[in-house]
Amino acid sequence: MSLNKFKNYFISSYSSGGGVEKKQRKGKSDILPAFAFLSPSLILFVIFILFPVFFSFYLSFQKWNMFSSESTFVGLDNYIRLFSDPEFWQVLKNTLYYTLGTVPINMALSLFVAYLLNKQIAGKKILRTMFFAPVVISPVAAAVIWRWLYDPNFGIINYALSWVGIESINWLNDPDAAMIAVIIMGVWKTFGINMVLFAAGLQAIPEHYYEAAEIDGAGRLSKFWNITIPLLTPTTMFILIMSMIASLQVFDIVYVLTSGGPLGSTKVLVFYVYEHAFKFFEMGYASAISYVLFAILFVFTMIQFKFMKVKF
Amino acid sequence: MKKVFILIVAAVTFFTLISCSKDKNKELSGKTEIVFWHSFVASTIPALNELISKFEAAHPNIKLTAQYIPTGDALIQKLITAVQSGTAPDISWLHADYMEDLVDADAIYEMNHFIKGADGISDEELHKIYPALLQYSSWKGVLYSLPMEATDLALIYNKDMFREAGLDPERPPQTWEELKEYSAKLTLDKNNDGNFERIGFFIPNYPAAGPLGNWMVWQFLPYIWQAGGYVIAEDQSKVTFNEEPGVKALTLWKELYQSQKLNMFTNDYDIAFASQRLAMAMDGPWNLPRYEEIVKDFDYGFAFLPSGPEKRATVVGGEYLAIFKQSKNPDAAWKFLKWMISPEAQAEWSILSKYLPIRKDVVEIPKYKKYLEEHPHFKVFFEQMDYAQAQRPIDFGGLQIARHIAQALEESMLGNKDPKKALDEAAVKSNLLLKPKSQR
Repeated sequence: MSLNKFKNYFISSYSSGGGVEKKQRKGKSDILPAFAFLSPSLILFVIFILFPVFFSFYLSFQKWNMFSSESTFVGLDNYIRLFSDPEFWQVLKNTLYYTLGTVPINMALSLFVAYLLNKQIAGKKILRTMFFAPVVISPVAAAVIWRWLYDPNFGIINYALSWVGIESINWLNDPDAAMIAVIIMGVWKTFGINMVLFAAGLQAIPEHYYEAAEIDGAGRLSKFWNITIPLLTPTTMFILIMSMIASLQVFDIVYVLTSGGPLGSTKVLVFYVYEHAFKFFEMGYASAISYVLFAILFVFTMIQFKFMKVKF
Repeated sequence: MKKVFILIVAAVTFFTLISCSKDKNKELSGKTEIVFWHSFVASTIPALNELISKFEAAHPNIKLTAQYIPTGDALIQKLITAVQSGTAPDISWLHADYMEDLVDADAIYEMNHFIKGADGISDEELHKIYPALLQYSSWKGVLYSLPMEATDLALIYNKDMFREAGLDPERPPQTWEELKEYSAKLTLDKNNDGNFERIGFFIPNYPAAGPLGNWMVWQFLPYIWQAGGYVIAEDQSKVTFNEEPGVKALTLWKELYQSQKLNMFTNDYDIAFASQRLAMAMDGPWNLPRYEEIVKDFDYGFAFLPSGPEKRATVVGGEYLAIFKQSKNPDAAWKFLKWMISPEAQAEWSILSKYLPIRKDVVEIPKYKKYLEEHPHFKVFFEQMDYAQAQRPIDFGGLQIARHIAQALEESMLGNKDPKKALDEAAVKSNLLLKPKSQR
């Protein structure tokens, strides 16, 4: 099949009228080549995403240690155990704490930086690269560096705090401070990507709106509030949803920075899944936790979609 | 354009196919290849390579390929996948805590299959190995692996600081009371601001769920034994770490941890020791080369752990090698194990790697005896093996029980919970785990 024919297939299926007729006539023979072309990514998608999604749903009703070739059906036992597991509720609380801590700070900061960098200022490109760099650094390597920064005796953060007279804090070994430390690193690590998205959103706002507002005598704040914010809404909603999902799934930086400690104060849902799946080999229970996380994500996303529809 | 596209597709397909096909062309000219999985720390790898070349020189028709898997956690995860997909190695490191699952899956050989086989070893020879190590190599009393090396835990201390504090540098603390007394004397607050510039004795406290949680529990075990206790009852009907000896041990740890404000101290105790902010710590022989590298300009020594109210004890550890049933050359794999446990190989390996030998009679080899005389720090670890104790076997739930103990330590030292209460709570949770997974 020539590439042209392939192109025609797509054009015909999207165009109305005669195309439909054509599709009905030759549909079957055309769809197979289409799948053939899509197969490399489809196969990967099915093996590494679709299959695990359904398999772990199946596993959440099973008891399986990964070693043995068979698993036992236990019905809703895993879910029942989950809701009566006090550690699970603690972990859920920690995850929400992290999410509610990171997402607002992250969004405010990235919008602020994007807004500043949208103006003509010196060293704009260098600054943008600097803010974006953490996004592309491996999270594990970054967390190892941050562990040093937070060290109570050798760390630079406590050293800096001592200049302004703040008593040293053992960030990663203090149940009250550890989550804050993780949030700070989480924001640092991820706000760069949101900054880029906001910057793109800002550039998409036509300049003449601002000009018109200036003629009407609008100040800087009023312009920001009445033009920038409303016109950025699609970008903001997108970033909100994506950051929420990412924050609820945080794992790598927690694993390296605090390993869920001290006293379980930074143990988050995915860490809990990891612990049960790959340390205790309770695949069924781990799958059940994953599905609860999925349900939470689903509800959050649906609520946000509802809001989005209202806005447009 | 089209041609370029086809060329790219062809190239990608070609290289994918190449990388997929197992390299069967690599004829080893009649040699049998055996694959060995391990997680030795990076600094041990050169020693391992030398050990392997020694083995291959003694067995010219076997090629031993060592494959490094970073961290023990990753190793066990990889083993599971490999067993499931029929690609298990011939030999692997294996910890007793995972044997329940692997025996259940019929993945590893019983050692008796080889020991009592044609190329076997005598019972007498087998029991030259420290009994503590043989116990750790077994599950439910059946030997499923053999130890490759031994480790124990000793006290490292800064002799210059001892002199400065008016203590005898050749007489490290001998009892728990002295440990407390010395720690207090060595702890220093130079400017009286309530923060210690120097700590007397390091007590570890790591997140219970983290990769170092087990390491913390491992260091805690000898204190239970020193107080005359055990983690578990001999018949494994219940855990006993919450009885009086365990509570005594945790009370000691909690006291030392809190009086020295260790919650404000770094966890990188070796660096703290090297930078003279710490006077005493516990560590294993594998870290000796590291101290030689990072300690500059001061005099330090090693000593036995102080003895407790009941007795002297240290903890023993090591790595254990199992042979997988999927191995195509189990007999060649056994040849390596058999060679590995011989006194000659043990002497070589101990000198190369700074691990301890698995049998005491290695000292009869003149070369090793000389090595010990020339390395007094290492000798402390070797001699302390006389007091090395293995934890009583825990056939089921060992990993989770260690997790619960770790949590009790954390809650008591950092969260200021009463030691008895913290251990009791851990015991309640642990007692539910003492049966096979299928019955829990």
